[in-house]
Amino acid sequence: MKGTWLETVRGFVWVKLIGGDADKFLNEATAANIKVWQISFEKDGSLTFGISIPDFFKLRPLLRKCGCRTRILSRHGVPFKLERLARRKVFAGGMLAFVIALFVLSMLVWNVKIEGDTAIPESRILAAARAEGLYKYQWSWRMEDTSTLSKNMARRLPDAAWVGVEKKGATIMITVVDSTKPEKRPLESPSHLVAKTDSVVTKVIAESGRPKVERNDRVKKGDVLISGLLGDEKNNKAVVSKGTVMGLVWHEYRIAAPTTKKIKSYTGASKTRNYWIIGNRALQISGYKGEEYEQSQIKSSMQRSRIRDWVLPFGSMKEVEMEVIETEQKLTPEEAKQAGLSAARSDLLAKSGVGAVIKAENILHEQTENGKVMLTVLFEVEQSIAEPRPFVQAPETPPIPQGE
Amino acid sequence: MMRVSRKLRKWTATILDLPQDVALDLPRITMIGGLQLTVENHRGVLHFSPQSLRLAMDRGEMEVTGENLIIRTIGTEEVFVEGTILGVQLHPTNKPGV
Repeated sequence: MKGTWLETVRGFVWVKLIGGDADKFLNEATAANIKVWQISFEKDGSLTFGISIPDFFKLRPLLRKCGCRTRILSRHGVPFKLERLARRKVFAGGMLAFVIALFVLSMLVWNVKIEGDTAIPESRILAAARAEGLYKYQWSWRMEDTSTLSKNMARRLPDAAWVGVEKKGATIMITVVDSTKPEKRPLESPSHLVAKTDSVVTKVIAESGRPKVERNDRVKKGDVLISGLLGDEKNNKAVVSKGTVMGLVWHEYRIAAPTTKKIKSYTGASKTRNYWIIGNRALQISGYKGEEYEQSQIKSSMQRSRIRDWVLPFGSMKEVEMEVIETEQKLTPEEAKQAGLSAARSDLLAKSGVGAVIKAENILHEQTENGKVMLTVLFEVEQSIAEPRPFVQAPETPPIPQGE
Repeated sequence: MMRVSRKLRKWTATILDLPQDVALDLPRITMIGGLQLTVENHRGVLHFSPQSLRLAMDRGEMEVTGENLIIRTIGTEEVFVEGTILGVQLHPTNKPGV
């Protein structure tokens, strides 16, 4: 037995007993509650045993009683190690210096990080932090506590809605959240609202400016609908006119609707190919059999092996090629006409802008020829007809004559 | 008086089916092959040499014989012996009142 860890901490010695009555010594030792262990006889007949240091000093009266002497064979444990360490002053000093250096260096701020999505330049944030005494290689005890720092920094950064300062070991994290500001609108020059196309006005709502037209007025392209000039000849003011003017507009459409329709459909035949992926390369491992399809659609799905969030450069890919057949379907003239009309309607609404409504549609002409239905349709659409037109203003007041 | 109390204790141990060592304060010897031996309730070491270990008991002596005997640990109550153990002998003495 080399001694338990407790013995190692307290320190123990291997002792040789010389002369005297060994049996009596053993009895006395046990009676005095002195713990000895690994009692054995050497070849020369002397008793050796292990004993802890405090117990060793208790042995002295016993030894005198038994008439024995002791010789220490070896010393083990922490107290002896410490004693040896005390003799090597530089080494011990170095160890102490290391611990102190570690402690002192851990009190430095080693890194100042800026987090968060912010439009404020990093240098400005760092400058604000420096002004508050927060910079690299600063003693962390000279810093104020993080809540005060974040408050003061927020005062120094007016563009930030919130500034957070967090200390994580030797790193300081500054989180900056920008305050949202209203978007800056481009400056507009005074303008009228004029008609985009010829139409009949159905609704006039003027937000600013003076309406020049009324409901049911017929307007031509370029006519002023809402004027940006307020006042009379003497006292006037130019504004950016705003408002909504809706009008009825007629659109004539020529539609050529084919009486056949092509439809793609799956035949049901399919092939599956499997790949192994290594890096950005794929190795096909199955699906070489079978003929190629004339027309097909390929659906592929990839699986990357991963360990938690870490994507590994290996994986597998599965490709399914499905045969596609194109068939032609015959439409009756009525069906073709409806298809053509609905296509024209959606095209018209897309062109006419937001809020456009088809009020009426008149088929003017209809004719079937060469497998096509030819249509001429007149759509009546209620749509916004206003369009801004800036104007240049003449100088308001004549120059004042100087003196006489 | 002692004899009466010992008889009473023995009787109690028999009636209640108690282990005798608990009731009668006898040594308990645990031996693992011929390698290790633990003696509980001994009354001190009489003699120790690499060939034999004599222990005092309540009434009599106990001798452990063997080769290269080592006392691993020793306490007031128990001894733990290691080595090549060859024999354990008990030498009871019937001294009255001991």
